[in-house]
Amino acid sequence: MGALTFNQSDCPRESDVLEAVAFGRLPQIREHLDICASCAEVAAIAGVLRQDHTATIREAHVPSAGTVWWRATIRARAEAARTVSQPITMLQGIAGACAVGLTAAFAGGTWRWIQTFTSAGDFIVRLDARRDDIAAASTLLLQYAVPLTLGLAACLVVAPLALYLALADD
Amino acid sequence: MTFSNVDRLGVGAAEADDVFQMDEDAFRLFYDRTARPVWAYLARLTGDPRQADDLLQETYYRFLRARGTPSDEAHRRNYLFRIATNLVHDARRRPRVDAVPMPEHLDHPDPQHVDHAGGAATRVDLSRAMARLKPRERALLWLAYAQGSSHKEIAETLGLKTASIKLLLFRARRRLAALLGDGAA
Repeated sequence: MGALTFNQSDCPRESDVLEAVAFGRLPQIREHLDICASCAEVAAIAGVLRQDHTATIREAHVPSAGTVWWRATIRARAEAARTVSQPITMLQGIAGACAVGLTAAFAGGTWRWIQTFTSAGDFIVRLDARRDDIAAASTLLLQYAVPLTLGLAACLVVAPLALYLALADD
Repeated sequence: MTFSNVDRLGVGAAEADDVFQMDEDAFRLFYDRTARPVWAYLARLTGDPRQADDLLQETYYRFLRARGTPSDEAHRRNYLFRIATNLVHDARRRPRVDAVPMPEHLDHPDPQHVDHAGGAATRVDLSRAMARLKPRERALLWLAYAQGSSHKEIAETLGLKTASIKLLLFRARRRLAALLGDGAA
């Protein structure tokens, strides 16, 4: 392609030139192109780009419509699943954080309680003083040990089952 | 989460029509009419056919998932090219490490398809010149002169004002002409 001259003029026939390039009718406007540098530039650029467009489209290897549709469907499914699982993941996170917090609180409380017994002697004296209370509490715990264990076990079994049933449609 | 759960929670083949803005048959027709021009546009804008392949899939996926897309064919087409333009813009901000330039078969077309002896050389010059233009200039020139889009359509595709297209196109054309002139000199 030869060197092109620049012309800032705005030719009203530019659209005619583009049409001529598109439909291969450049010889019909050759006279105008010889006197209008702006249109000559448009014709040269449009001609090169049109030619390249035609060749690129001819050489393009695009996937089939079915393949693109199938990939899009798979991706939509994955995104839908991710959207659904997001609240569950969030709840699991919250539950985990709660468990950690409760454990920390319990450990802190226990530590403070142990620290109240400044010496082993003090501790034994106090235990001795509260022997009746401890014995009563132990009896009560033994009395309800079986129902408590059964309840805890039921929760451990029922909770995952309930979660499964909530997520399953069928 | 297992794939069976994904199946259960996600969309089935029949439900895809609810998720996407058009059914499969309509999509096939639309795709067959537009895929090659979109790919050519992506390839020329990115200068990388492999990236054009990836962006083509992404363009149609976003198009299918979009809500409130125009009902008439021309506007749909512009909308599709707008998605493609935005994707190229996004991809430019995160450059690929495996980017490859336009291959030889695109820079040097099959000789039996070349209309005249200078055809292949002109395409090589054009590829080099286009690579040196700004992305917006490439898009403007391709839409206006390769695809024959109107100023209004170009403005719609590139998200610009219609009134500004004329001047921007003029500047882009001058730059390309200068680059092609340099290449030929």
